[in-house]
Amino acid sequence: MFFRLYKYNLIRYGRQKIMIFWNLIFPIILGSLFQIAFGNYIEEEIIFHQIPVACVEEEDADENFTALLKGLEEEEIITVQFVGEKEAEELLQEDKVEGIYRNGRKSSSSESGGEIVLVVSDQGMNQSILSTILEKYEQIKAALVNIGREHPEKIQAAAAQLEEECRYLREGSVLKEPVNIVLDYFYSLLAMNCLMGATAGLMSAMEFKANLTDLAARQVVTGTRRFGILLPNLVAKITIQFVYLVFSLCYLMFALNVPLGSQWGFILLTLFVGDILGIIFGFFIGVLGKMKYRVKESICVMMMLVSSFFSGLMVTGVMRVMETYVPIFNRINPASLIVKSLYSLNIYDTYERYFQCMGNMLLMILVLGAGAFALVRRERYASV
Amino acid sequence: MQVFKAFFKILYRNKTSLIMYTVIYLVITVITMHTMQEEGEIGFSEVSLDVGVENQDEGNLGNALVEYLENCHQIQKVPKEKEDLQDAMYYEEVDYVLVIPKNFTEKFELGETEGVLEGTTVPRSSSAYLVENKIESFLNIAAMYRSAGFETEEAAQKAASDMEESGNVEFLGKDGSQQLPGGFYFFQYLPYVFVVMMILGLGVAMKEFQEKNLAARNKCSAMSFFKQNGQIFLGCMVYMMMVYLVFMVMACGSVGDYMMSLQGVLSAANALIFMFCSLSVAWFAAQFAYNAAILSIMSNVFGLAFSFLGGVFVSLELMGERGQQMAKFVPSYWYVMANREIQKMTSFSEAKELFPFFLMVLVFTLAFFSLGLLVNRMRVKSR
Repeated sequence: MFFRLYKYNLIRYGRQKIMIFWNLIFPIILGSLFQIAFGNYIEEEIIFHQIPVACVEEEDADENFTALLKGLEEEEIITVQFVGEKEAEELLQEDKVEGIYRNGRKSSSSESGGEIVLVVSDQGMNQSILSTILEKYEQIKAALVNIGREHPEKIQAAAAQLEEECRYLREGSVLKEPVNIVLDYFYSLLAMNCLMGATAGLMSAMEFKANLTDLAARQVVTGTRRFGILLPNLVAKITIQFVYLVFSLCYLMFALNVPLGSQWGFILLTLFVGDILGIIFGFFIGVLGKMKYRVKESICVMMMLVSSFFSGLMVTGVMRVMETYVPIFNRINPASLIVKSLYSLNIYDTYERYFQCMGNMLLMILVLGAGAFALVRRERYASV
Repeated sequence: MQVFKAFFKILYRNKTSLIMYTVIYLVITVITMHTMQEEGEIGFSEVSLDVGVENQDEGNLGNALVEYLENCHQIQKVPKEKEDLQDAMYYEEVDYVLVIPKNFTEKFELGETEGVLEGTTVPRSSSAYLVENKIESFLNIAAMYRSAGFETEEAAQKAASDMEESGNVEFLGKDGSQQLPGGFYFFQYLPYVFVVMMILGLGVAMKEFQEKNLAARNKCSAMSFFKQNGQIFLGCMVYMMMVYLVFMVMACGSVGDYMMSLQGVLSAANALIFMFCSLSVAWFAAQFAYNAAILSIMSNVFGLAFSFLGGVFVSLELMGERGQQMAKFVPSYWYVMANREIQKMTSFSEAKELFPFFLMVLVFTLAFFSLGLLVNRMRVKSR
């Protein structure tokens, strides 16, 4: 009996076009929009790329600085184009270079300016790095002058020390990959996809309450135990919803190449638990009170939207803000729990926080499931 | 005004969900405004990074290095738990973490330099290069002084004084480096809210009028087709103005100073023009809305597509060249561009520079309205 009902529920739910749109097509649309909007973020904003710079050399150019620039080019820090002043300005205006080094000319804006001037038209990381290169050069020059003035006999030793180019820093490891905050959008999308199951859960409740739908009224007069009708219905919805989720996950990871992590087993487990949570939540709303279907549907949609918003679907960092000011909210917000679980798998080396989130989700499933069961148990209809 | 009254009766019947949508989107707008404003302020000091430092050094050099770093970066405490540190780096609250070991000064004096400090950052990031360059510069110069016979403390002092030497930088300032007011962020997010509110609100009412039997009954009534549609149009306009006013009152409440300024007035005008566009998008979307579920799909697809493609939810600069080219094909792009331009305005006479953006939004308004008419016509003919 279970498998027969399960099969027919699978067919019925799988054929609902509106559900196919929301659970299958909508996440693809939204995921693609996210990719268009933030696809380049890590590559363009986080990862270091060689900085293009123009260098204008005058007659009295400092050769050491030119040598330094060439050295930095070999180290793949910058790419230098030695050009005339006019061409350099054009390159800067067209954003083809991040800055211009004018080697051998006094600054036009400052009388006390040095011989080398950096011209930039923006304030960003690349411009700061270019400024640091010039600064470093000037600082070493100043140090050599100071040493030469106070201990002229030691100037050779100091220069030798400079030649050594000591590397004081060794790399520590905290994050494995250059990942960052924009991944939250994709985690939130998956969370929303899980919570979309709420409408399916609501549908199950409607199909279970004889006072709400004809189908339920028909089923209630059969000899089958009511729980025996409900269980395959819920399991079928969880199954189909999970298939939709796996499809969305595959689309994000393989078609859009979003680095969501490599721990497949745990990722699927998270989505499965999130899927159950969404459906049980919808079922709970469905059996709660005597509100009309439309009102209950609005509650489910709003819950999904608000929950997803606070997990960072529309604005990144909202979850972090909530974590700072109202941490308890993140412990009970279903979307935040799903996002945090997926995030924990990708970022942390241990599973402690992952299991905390999963534990919270399971607890919510238990509470909502028990609540829903308490509301519908021994329900009898005198007249429908 | 029977049709007009009927229009509002339908809206009134759906008052619960409409009020719910209004309140939720108001809250979302205000929360987003505050979140983004805070981020904007952090973004403004982007050349000064957040560096977490854990100084265990018992000598002087560690302190001197930290003091130097304090001058050019914001020094943060390093979270004790590794997971908290990972959180902080993921959320860009800490760009670099430097750990100075116990015997750093001692090792420096002995000339043991290779890899004595531990620096942690997001792998392959630009911020790593910037901070590491500063640290290495300071220590290299201190080492030069040390090899020239200075004591470590003096070498560090002299290095710190040399580090004050700055390069000559000429800045040909570009626009947009100023801090943006809260009002900017409030208006930045309105396109999403307006499109969703208009499609959901107007769609509900228009859907009823488009119901086959009702439309057929209305057609054979004494009231002319033009008059009926005129009253529906009036109803739409009144609803549009109501939603607009609610959000403008909210703007006055949350960013009152901004609304009283030139920027506030221009932003309100920009929002009003976009509201007309949202109205025509809603009219277009309503042609496909056979039931509330499709209406909900339409509101989300249009709302989110306009927001993500048009640079509402994410800065246009981050979208890459191809994304920016695509953005020009959605009205919200022109609204966002106008919103940015408004922040640079100093007098009303400059407002004419906004006209091309307004015009583009109005062109989209016309396009969606015409498309809606076309679909409507095709549907009527197919009956």
